[in-house]
Amino acid sequence: MSKVMEPGVQSAAPSGQVGRPVKRLESAAKVTGRAEYIHNLELPGMLRAKVVRSTVAHARIRGIDTSAAKALPGVYDVITAEDILKVIPDPYYGPAFHDQPILAIDKVRHVGEPVAVVLATDVHVADQATDLVEVEYEELEPVFHEVEAYKSQTAIVHDVIRPAGTFADLKSLQPRNKTNVAMEYHLRNGDVDAAFAKADYVFEHTFRSQQVNHLPLEPTVTVAQLTDTGNLLIHTSSQSPSFVRIEVARLLGWPENKVRVRTAYLGGGFGAKLYIKLEALVAALALITQRPVRLSLTMEEQFYTITRHAATVTIRTGVTKDGRIVARDCKTWWNGGAYADIGPRVTQKSGFTAAGPYDIEAVSLDSYAVYTNLPPAGALRGFGIPQLVWAYESQADIIARELGMDPLEFRRKNILRNGRPHATGTILEDAGTVEVLEELARKMNWDQPFDRGSGTIRRGRGIAIGVKAAVSPTTSVAFVNLYSDGSCGVYCGTVDMGQGSDTAMAQIAADVLGLRAEDVRIIHPDTEVTPYDMATLGSRSTFHMGNAVRLAAEDAKQKIVAMCAEQTGFDPAALVVRDGGVATPDGSFFTFGAILAKRHGMQAGNVLGVGSYFPYYEKPNPETGMSEHITPYWMVGGTGVEVEVDMETGKVHITRLVTVGDCGKAINPGIVRRQLSGASFMQMGFTLFEEMVFDEGQVVNASMADYKIPGFWDLPDINEVSIVEVPHRNGPFGAKGIGETGSLGLSPAVANAIYDAIGVRIYETPLTPEKVLKALREKQGQGWEDA
Amino acid sequence: MAEYRTIRFRLNGRPVELAVQPHENLVEALRRGFQMYSVRESCGQGLCGCCTVYVNGKAVSGCLYLAALVDGCDVQTAEGLGTLQQLSPVQEAFIECEGFQCGFCTPGMIMMATQLLQENPNPTDEEIKHYMSGNLCRCAAYPEIIAAVHRAAEKLRASKETDAKADQAATVAG
Amino acid sequence: MNAFDLIQPDTLEEALSLLNTDDPLVRPLAGGTALMLMMKSKLYAPERLVSLQRLKPSLDKVKVDEAGRLHLGPLATLRELELSPVVAQFSPVIPKALRTLSNVRVRNVATLGGHLAHGDPHMDLPPILLALDAQVRVSSEAGHRDIPLSEFLTGYYSTALAPGELITEVVVPPLPQGTRGTYVKFTALSADDWPMAGVAAFVRLEDGQISDARVAVSAATERPVRLHEVESFLRGQRPTDEVLHHAGELAGTQIHPLADIRGSSGYKREIVKVCVRRSLQQIAQTDHNGDGGVTQ
Repeated sequence: MSKVMEPGVQSAAPSGQVGRPVKRLESAAKVTGRAEYIHNLELPGMLRAKVVRSTVAHARIRGIDTSAAKALPGVYDVITAEDILKVIPDPYYGPAFHDQPILAIDKVRHVGEPVAVVLATDVHVADQATDLVEVEYEELEPVFHEVEAYKSQTAIVHDVIRPAGTFADLKSLQPRNKTNVAMEYHLRNGDVDAAFAKADYVFEHTFRSQQVNHLPLEPTVTVAQLTDTGNLLIHTSSQSPSFVRIEVARLLGWPENKVRVRTAYLGGGFGAKLYIKLEALVAALALITQRPVRLSLTMEEQFYTITRHAATVTIRTGVTKDGRIVARDCKTWWNGGAYADIGPRVTQKSGFTAAGPYDIEAVSLDSYAVYTNLPPAGALRGFGIPQLVWAYESQADIIARELGMDPLEFRRKNILRNGRPHATGTILEDAGTVEVLEELARKMNWDQPFDRGSGTIRRGRGIAIGVKAAVSPTTSVAFVNLYSDGSCGVYCGTVDMGQGSDTAMAQIAADVLGLRAEDVRIIHPDTEVTPYDMATLGSRSTFHMGNAVRLAAEDAKQKIVAMCAEQTGFDPAALVVRDGGVATPDGSFFTFGAILAKRHGMQAGNVLGVGSYFPYYEKPNPETGMSEHITPYWMVGGTGVEVEVDMETGKVHITRLVTVGDCGKAINPGIVRRQLSGASFMQMGFTLFEEMVFDEGQVVNASMADYKIPGFWDLPDINEVSIVEVPHRNGPFGAKGIGETGSLGLSPAVANAIYDAIGVRIYETPLTPEKVLKALREKQGQGWEDA
Repeated sequence: MAEYRTIRFRLNGRPVELAVQPHENLVEALRRGFQMYSVRESCGQGLCGCCTVYVNGKAVSGCLYLAALVDGCDVQTAEGLGTLQQLSPVQEAFIECEGFQCGFCTPGMIMMATQLLQENPNPTDEEIKHYMSGNLCRCAAYPEIIAAVHRAAEKLRASKETDAKADQAATVAG
Repeated sequence: MNAFDLIQPDTLEEALSLLNTDDPLVRPLAGGTALMLMMKSKLYAPERLVSLQRLKPSLDKVKVDEAGRLHLGPLATLRELELSPVVAQFSPVIPKALRTLSNVRVRNVATLGGHLAHGDPHMDLPPILLALDAQVRVSSEAGHRDIPLSEFLTGYYSTALAPGELITEVVVPPLPQGTRGTYVKFTALSADDWPMAGVAAFVRLEDGQISDARVAVSAATERPVRLHEVESFLRGQRPTDEVLHHAGELAGTQIHPLADIRGSSGYKREIVKVCVRRSLQQIAQTDHNGDGGVTQ
């Protein structure tokens, strides 16, 4: 049984607003170009910052000469770590480790690391001056690959590793000094050796995922200014304003109430805009200059700021002759780049799901967050899970085919069902594992014959299913305010970066209060106005903030009903809230505004509802890595594809894409559908062609000209989305998060379909035409030589 | 520093002037001088379409266009297509078909779709993909955008028919 | 992007006079789409740009003369060429290839002259114009000279243009009756990527026999090149599967592909082989009224 900290969150029947296909509240603002983004913010007297970045991957800084840059007409100042240290004596930040300096101190650890900043009122002047800053480096041995870095004893990225202690759940996970292992997580469930001994067959494979980039179209941007009292006001394109406030306050040694952080709509986030990105630097610049400062990244700079972990996964699986998985041992090395960012959390939170959605007697998992001299890696839509699903679902097909079993049957046989323990020891509940798999089978017409073609174009189909555990522990707080006329504002820190949270939260509040979602106003995150929220990440908002908003609305409802009961003399239980007011048993109806007016003798006052949600969690046992309450809910996603493979070029074309996701309850079915399909297409880019290519740590394709993302022509011919609703007992109206669910299964589904088409297995994404053709030629015994 | 020069042009139908530096691009000038925030520099390479502007009636990438060169030209941005109170048919269609998520690429998408429908009132899926292939959406709302362009085409055809009927009626009445 | 000075002459003479300097920091600016990219990435930081914008009316004409030659004004935009009935009638391969070149906004601005002067091997028109034996007229204050496109494109981002010279016309000789062509483009990453390989082929069939063949490859190589050995092999042959397959294999031996993020040199060679064969197959399979097409 799940435990719940807050009362009244058991799923309730919606009253009409939840489940309604409401159009996004900000639709007109977005189509007219009026929607507010921090990208648009310019302040009078503002300085613009341009960053001087390291050109080498690993080096000691011998000296920085800023004189020529400072001498360029129009340059206001050039700032280095020396200046930062005067306002922030210990300028290291990070959510898991305090390992990242605001500007490089003594050492650089990746190409693109900020070394100095030029300030000017004209951004072109600042940009020009960055080329005039001379930095002298003494190069050190770099290390780039996660497995090499794991083993290396000579190329050490951090001399001392600095855990932050922010997350209670990570406290048991200790770094190893004098190595590149930032953190490791181990799970031991059952007698793995004995279970392997029972297996008829043991399979071992290694799979790799490449570095990719989030590439939100709104480049990351921060504007900071001092207020009249010398406090800080930070406007930032952040997914985590509460965290930014806490962390900037910590860096400055200030109380939180002296730092105000606000956001607007985000032009995409996908994990790129979490924790501290530019905020600490820009805050320091505003303090140093006493002027408003703006820093907006170029597309190229985004590649050097945050990436998705490359990962190597070695997975060993023991199966019986009849296709039961009895043992699994999985080792994962996460390429965290030069700074930990949220990598340690990825290592643990994703690490513990590495055995997949399967019911396995004994499981052993090892997961390592490894420092390398590449740009830092963080969270990207799926928090590491797609890299693991890539491994375990590719291997699922390999095993099924070796055993002569149908890949669907193999999964059916092993799928983890509700009521059974997950590898962590947490009992699976309210998770649509079976439902998603069966819906996938149905949509794919899996039991029907499939024409694989002959000649140049071959056809194949593949499926895959993955689970993700919602990140825990996390907290959301919301206020619902009924204003004096009875209109409603919802104050919540969830950042709408395109996932439609404003609309979903309005629907939840409206449903409780008998309003129309369109009449509810969402007040955007501003730490001076909206209460705490851990962050907008990991598909957590619908569940956590949705619950907080629901509780806040319930609280407001209870208060206005009590007021009406007092005014009319009826028992509160006899009063019905609907249509923006309260109906009494005698047939009268009082609007919220009328109730408030009666109370105050005029149009005045507020009714303020407060909701706070913090699901129950038990951190993993340090010995076994297990926990009975590892997550508040599970996300389950499945993908099916049909592909055409060109035997002469290796080119893969997805002709049909089926994305299935369990959302518990679709608060807004249209938005759920778009989130599933959007995640699926994004993952398609990561699967087929997106890849950050490095040369000695330098990204050789750091632009949209050379790092291609999916466009109109890359759409599958047929695109289908299927929503599965297995309600969660603690979800608001049964809902679970859905933002990443579409990402989970796509990569292995495509690889499995390629195998089905041409009998070739690819172990490393992206599945470029060259890789496919090369593997095919090798199988045919005809390679080629490079000229 | 480079010299400023004053350029005069029409912006969304009204004559305007602005002092610009030769190396300033059209996105920078339109935002700095006129707060045209629908015009956004994202990829900076003319590939994503977030900076789409019409110059003399033709869509261009504002991030690759020197502001000084619009002297004497007619410039239009998404702000000129419709307002919150009166959306254009293409804007309405994007809302009805949910052709966006984060909304950052949306004005550019709508500018291109509007121009496509001026040139081709009844485009096929293929023709839409061809015309819009230079606009990227990281949220990947592509299927909904294609649906929105079809919906907008229907709306525009319907309003043309209504106009034609009204003209006919006017002629008869006259 | 660093600051520079911008001059907007009204006449060609004025422009040529302004450009008559050995200073590498002075350059002409046509549509500017490629130059802007170079300036933004600081690959090039000019001191002075000479805008050709005001010369457009006198240098954007597209026409076919009495001798059947196609004359293309260098300041015609790629979009104007794409939509020009004159161009389509001359060879539908050109507009079809243009439809997939970059995007509408870039084509609305980028000019033919800039497209060629940039010397970028990944562009789509050079291999087609190369296969069509186009000539480039370049002018300077000293006069003008006519250069075959094959000699104009000298290498990776380099051309035969000397300082002070501007492209003032591109001339394509008439295509012999019955010539059919195609352009095959292969993208390795997203579908709207720059080509990893481009193949333009024009073939004339007489009584089922190839009487003329012209094949050009781009993108995979450091500059667009004609495959003369493949062309002479094809002449006099019937376009059987075997012959076309051999033509593809032969093409593979004639090129020196450059490795980059889109493919290794070995893979590019394999793809060029396939694209050459497929381009010829497409032409062979087109009925006599058709003109081939563009495929990706």
